[in-house]
Amino acid sequence: MGKLRALDHVNLNIEEKQLIAVVGESGCGKSTLALSIIGLLARPPAVVESGVIEYKDVDLLSIPSKKLRQYRGTEIAMIFQEPLTSLNPVFTIGDQIGEAIMIRDLRKSKQQSDDLPSDFMQKTYKSNVTPKPSRIPSLRRRRITEALQKEIIQYLSLVRIADPDQVLERYPFELSGGMRQRVMIAMALSQKPALLVADEPTTALDVTTQAQVLKLMKELMKEVNTSILLITHDLAVASQVADRVVVMYAGNVVEDSNVLELFSDPLHPYTKGLLSCIPTGTKDETVIRPIAGSVPDLRNLPPGCKFASRCPYVMEVCKQKDPELVETKPDHKVACFLYGN
Amino acid sequence: MGIETFESEDSILVTRDLKKYYPIRREFNPFSRNPRRFVRAVDGVSLSIRKGKTVAVVGESGCGKTTLARTITLMTPPTSGDIIFEGINLTKEKVRPKKLYRDVQMVFQDPDSSLDPRIKIKETVAEPIRSLVGGTENQVREYVRTSLSAVGLSEEQGDRLPKQLSGGQRQRVAIARAIGPRPKLIVLDEPTSALDASVQAQILALLLDLQRKYNLSYMLITHNISVAQYLSDQVAVMYAGNLVEYGDTKTVITKPRHPYTITLISSAPIPNPRIRNLLDIEIKGEVPSSINPPTGCRFNPRCPYAEKICTEINPPLKEIAKGHYVACHFVEKTA
Repeated sequence: MGKLRALDHVNLNIEEKQLIAVVGESGCGKSTLALSIIGLLARPPAVVESGVIEYKDVDLLSIPSKKLRQYRGTEIAMIFQEPLTSLNPVFTIGDQIGEAIMIRDLRKSKQQSDDLPSDFMQKTYKSNVTPKPSRIPSLRRRRITEALQKEIIQYLSLVRIADPDQVLERYPFELSGGMRQRVMIAMALSQKPALLVADEPTTALDVTTQAQVLKLMKELMKEVNTSILLITHDLAVASQVADRVVVMYAGNVVEDSNVLELFSDPLHPYTKGLLSCIPTGTKDETVIRPIAGSVPDLRNLPPGCKFASRCPYVMEVCKQKDPELVETKPDHKVACFLYGN
Repeated sequence: MGIETFESEDSILVTRDLKKYYPIRREFNPFSRNPRRFVRAVDGVSLSIRKGKTVAVVGESGCGKTTLARTITLMTPPTSGDIIFEGINLTKEKVRPKKLYRDVQMVFQDPDSSLDPRIKIKETVAEPIRSLVGGTENQVREYVRTSLSAVGLSEEQGDRLPKQLSGGQRQRVAIARAIGPRPKLIVLDEPTSALDASVQAQILALLLDLQRKYNLSYMLITHNISVAQYLSDQVAVMYAGNLVEYGDTKTVITKPRHPYTITLISSAPIPNPRIRNLLDIEIKGEVPSSINPPTGCRFNPRCPYAEKICTEINPPLKEIAKGHYVACHFVEKTA
């Protein structure tokens, strides 16, 4: 059995209240990065050979999985690409957001004392009982209180859903794609996370809906004080919303720069290539220059820079050594032998 | 409705007031007096495609653009209206499908599901040639060879199975299959939306190259404004089964006049962080259901200029400048 290096020496630093976009083509490891950060990478089969993921001075890779749960969802939340597969089809929207809020409150009350007991879900919640039980099995003995109902409605209106009191009674299939994604965002935000990992949140949506969702994420970032890690394949989307852009290729970060610099002065040949691939005019006005070749097979990579086989500026050294990510200009890092290294 | 003015001498395909309704399953009640309901996927679309040119049909999911493509290729018969291909009215006269499909071919969105996973690439490409063009096995092989090399695939790759190729190469196979019988018109249904940016650029360049080489006409179905802008000569904007704007690509994209087109084009992100207009635009509501579309203009519940007349009368397409048609009661307000 061979090994596939999905991520190879990836260094990433997310500051508070920042929106970082990770851009790359399919198979470049951007989703693996997202899943490792939130601790959802199935291990095995995946193996983390080396490295740390530090969140507020805690190494998320070395703490036990039970402990990790306290962070996952509550401190670091995630939005997935396809909202229909991430929502449970047999429970209403209200139940699903309610579950998230109940778990958050439970964790908060337990956090000071000790780890959560494994049967914490089964304990009956006594205060403020109304006749309406939650339909989520693990929370069946709990009640959806009036206050909880209000909070659910509050989050639904936060993500600009019209008639939230009716929407919470609906099932995911009754909502449009844009509304489903907004429900996912509401659920993530109800946790008031310090970091929101959004893996291609608008790829399955139409352009007008995409614009609505991106605008909403950007506004909520300010309201709730969240940092966002936006995983996307669309450079245009990144240019519109990100503060910093990280370009990945075949498991490596090849360029890391603030957004204005990256688009006005891209350094890495791959970034340049990606930018010249986007058609921005009619066929008479613009010439697109596709990058020749295709992404290398991660199972048997040749030594050296992974972009060497497609690079127009390839040199002898590129085929022997792996370039390191170095800061060539303030706030602009690139991994390429063309720039010192 | 200003239909005739669309057509010109060199039109290869013309549709007139084309409609496609799908019936909704009836409720299980034999005594029900509820009328049958329909999804009005395509509701009165007239457009024309000129020889050697590309018309892009743009719109969001559910606007009926794929149904329009399927209707034009007669994969699904239209409910009413005319489809005229090279002067022959396909809805009135009996046309042998074989003859039609020799001239009209299609490329689908997802090469994973449009290629047979169990037969070799060269067989996939040979199949339409064998059945639509005929000829000896040697001639078929010759056709296959030229088709494969036209899309940049080697003969050795022709012996592989689809799973042994990358996504971009598979889309090349789908294009090779379409150009195999030497058609005059190719309907491209989202040909690049399943592909990565760098591969998309390769396919776009290939499509332009083939168009010039074989004088092909394209009907491009896409939701991607920049792809439409790059590939097409004319753009038709669809909203909820209706055509709302039609004109030369440059005019429609740089000076859109229908309120929906304006919304659509400004929501397409531009790769320039210095022009952050994406976060400035105000978009209300969502695409309406095509079972119960709003009365009057389909866009009126979301339109900033809507007035009473918009809820009553669905505006016809009007020519506001030469070759630029807009279906809006208050088109002067968007100037």
